[in-house]
Amino acid sequence: MMTATAPSLDRAAREDVSMLTFVHPLLGFPQDVEYGLVEIEKGSPLSRLQSAHSESTNFLVVPAATFFPDYAPVVDDDVVADLGIESTEDVLVLLVVHAGADLASTTVNLRAPLLVNTANLKAAQVILDDVNLSTTAPLVA
Amino acid sequence: MLVLSRRVGESVLIGDDVTVTVLDVRGDVIRIGIDAPRSVSVHRAELLQELADSNQESASPSRDAVESLAEALRQRR
Repeated sequence: MMTATAPSLDRAAREDVSMLTFVHPLLGFPQDVEYGLVEIEKGSPLSRLQSAHSESTNFLVVPAATFFPDYAPVVDDDVVADLGIESTEDVLVLLVVHAGADLASTTVNLRAPLLVNTANLKAAQVILDDVNLSTTAPLVA
Repeated sequence: MLVLSRRVGESVLIGDDVTVTVLDVRGDVIRIGIDAPRSVSVHRAELLQELADSNQESASPSRDAVESLAEALRQRR
């Protein structure tokens, strides 16, 4: 009889989870500050942001760069300070996805992206000033 | 809620760092100037509500929705 020495699938999955701390929680979810971020499946641009505080609170997110290469949110000095950002290279911009009935009707919120400082795992939902940025922009053209 | 009346040109100070001034009144539209440090966020109430609603609508998608979205994106690769 062999004792299993390999990490269980559960643990392996957990090791791929980044625990983020939201210094500015998602609007409407003030109690949810800690979230785990994990790919839906290997290679997918989709990730799940799972609240540590509330099992039923989770969001689908995608990296903005994957779908909106020209999207360049202007980040306030205060956000830079709150997240302890030292280099723009450390900043990961994620968009909250509203999963529609199909891909064509799936949208993202460009007006209030999630900024993550990958260096210290601090994050925030940031409200951008540009009124032309939609809260329901199609994910794909 | 503290209720004050102001005329055009008059101001209200909030805390040490925020000043709200009535700039002009045209019909039922009042233009307000807000002087605040960048560390204090200032947003229209309905925008914050819209964003909270948007988050709410996006929260906790069904397993089916997630699966079919993941599949659709797989096929695009």
